[in-house]
Amino acid sequence: MLVLSEKVLIEKLRQSVIECDEEAAKKVAGEILKAGVDPVKAIKEGISSAAKIVGEKFETGEFFLPQLLLAGEAMESASNVLMSGISEKKREELESKRAGTVVLATVSGDIHDIGKNILALLLAVNGFKVYDLGRDVDSMKIVEKATEVKPDIIGLSALMTTTMPAQREVIDLLNAMGVRNEFIVMVGGGSTNREWAEEIEADGWAETAEEAVRLAQRLIEKKRRQ
Amino acid sequence: MRLVPPWRINEVLKRAETGPICLERDFDLKVLYSKLQSVIKERDIKFDPEVIIPSDNSLADDVWKAALELYLEVGTLCLSTHRRILFDESEIKEAMSLSSREIVVGSGKDATRMCHREIEDSKRPFCLFSPDITCDEELFIPMSMAYLQEPLADGVCAPILDTIEGIRIKAGSPIEIKGSIAHAMMFREAARRVGRPGIFLQSVGTAETDAAQIAASNSTWGERLTDGRFVASIAELKVDYSLLNKMVHFHQYGCFVGALHGPMYGGYCGGAEGTAVVGTAYHIQALMVNQAYYSNYFPIHFKYSFNTSRELLWLISVTYQALARNTPFISLSNGFTAAGSFTPMVLYEAAAHGLVSTVSGANLWEIAVARNKYKNRATPMEARMACEIGHGIAKKGIKRSEANDIVKRILPKYENKLTEAPIGKTFSECYDIKTITPREDYVELYNKVKKELMDIGVPFL
Repeated sequence: MLVLSEKVLIEKLRQSVIECDEEAAKKVAGEILKAGVDPVKAIKEGISSAAKIVGEKFETGEFFLPQLLLAGEAMESASNVLMSGISEKKREELESKRAGTVVLATVSGDIHDIGKNILALLLAVNGFKVYDLGRDVDSMKIVEKATEVKPDIIGLSALMTTTMPAQREVIDLLNAMGVRNEFIVMVGGGSTNREWAEEIEADGWAETAEEAVRLAQRLIEKKRRQ
Repeated sequence: MRLVPPWRINEVLKRAETGPICLERDFDLKVLYSKLQSVIKERDIKFDPEVIIPSDNSLADDVWKAALELYLEVGTLCLSTHRRILFDESEIKEAMSLSSREIVVGSGKDATRMCHREIEDSKRPFCLFSPDITCDEELFIPMSMAYLQEPLADGVCAPILDTIEGIRIKAGSPIEIKGSIAHAMMFREAARRVGRPGIFLQSVGTAETDAAQIAASNSTWGERLTDGRFVASIAELKVDYSLLNKMVHFHQYGCFVGALHGPMYGGYCGGAEGTAVVGTAYHIQALMVNQAYYSNYFPIHFKYSFNTSRELLWLISVTYQALARNTPFISLSNGFTAAGSFTPMVLYEAAAHGLVSTVSGANLWEIAVARNKYKNRATPMEARMACEIGHGIAKKGIKRSEANDIVKRILPKYENKLTEAPIGKTFSECYDIKTITPREDYVELYNKVKKELMDIGVPFL
């Protein structure tokens, strides 16, 4: 049997993610484990490197949401295979090196979630752990999840003007429960703007998903420096 | 004579309960996106940035065939039951063959026809004027009156209230019901004040939920049987109980039902080709599931919420040509500009949208401005620009190839500024709200841009 070199295998993994090919990514991840290649190295140089390229292609308009979703699935499947070859200690180490953790939701009353879905994917490809609670999520449920998993960021999306008040409601609940300062709260969505974010005392607002990722990185960095 | 819709409502509702089970994620990627890719590839449908308004009828027919094939296989996902509502071709053909090519909307002296239009049709477009944005409570009546008094307005949609008696309106709350009823009452009052008490009113934008919509149905003070109400869709090709509740209520109440669909360029549809095909398929869903007499169609850029870029204008043209040649559907093309009121750019964008839509077979719904993000930012002047051109296109019998040359002369005036467009001014900065007239300097700007556009061959009323 031909044993491919470490470099070739990692490049194959990278390409399969960029080509949004979940089956190929999963298969090559298995080959990487069999060949005794360090899975942590494969994640870093194969998957993370591909994720960066996928993000860039999305930003320049070469990729759209479906490609982003498919690449995300390829990354997840390959990561699951590779993770099985990593020790518990090493896994914890990798987790601690994540860019951050985000609880994300489209707020109560709002069923429009494409923007939120795009952000969830872009956060994931940029190394964030994302708890995506879905659409039309009750404000208290968002707060409960945040107090349970203690994310760096709570991200709240609203497309409709009549659902924007639910973003304020989440912040009000965090204040009332005395936990507001434990989280960075970011808001976004079609009908929102910077003035609204300031009015409800959110920590950040971004117009596009790409800007939201950069903002999340900046806000976490700032928080960690404090 | 009005026939269909409604088309076998109980059958549709039954299928929402009994159709094939499908998880949403599978529907988006494995069902919709994968079939979409194959129908586009099979017919070699391609966006050409140099031909914004194609004159090729076979492209329009290919988009229609692709949309029909897509919809027959994919159907509509009901998120409340996780089931797909599917139809066979004979059912779609039956509903289409019985459906109305024109409806009479509004009442009394203000009643008017809303019709299916053909490509290069000499029939003037139905023009619905709408700010498509929230406004301060105290501005609701003056802003509504400003739109209602526009001579070219065949129908009007009011701005959206985000507070009532100073309290912020929240979807699903009792305040939403209160705000929606107030919206309906004040809008009717505004229509009477401008002397058009029977004009077609499209409402109630303040009501997001089914309960709030139902609360505003009242022939004395609220939404009448001669008005229009929307059943929207969830991107892409999805509905839920709340939307179906509205559909059932509107039909049993007896008002006109419209479908509202904004396929997202860059979202699950992918690029321009996919968005055109899904946009066309949405019109089939409009008849079969939303059970609508007409559609409001607003394909939109997934990042920047405009539809005046080259790709979006192309797909608007192609969708409307497909519908004009192959269906009896009545549809209004809803513009979304990047720039805001009182800027030359917003007027260029409105011109391009009105021109492309009308020559391709659309009626007009004009126009959301400033990326539809900023409260109080819209005026009837932008809608007027699009609709004056729509009338001009029909009256002068402009052909697609000529319209294509003209829009290619308009686009360079704004297309490189789309992602950093100026948000312009608010309604109060553009209009004298006591006299409800546009300020002189905005009229001057309007006339200057109009002359500039006429000089490059844009036809006006």
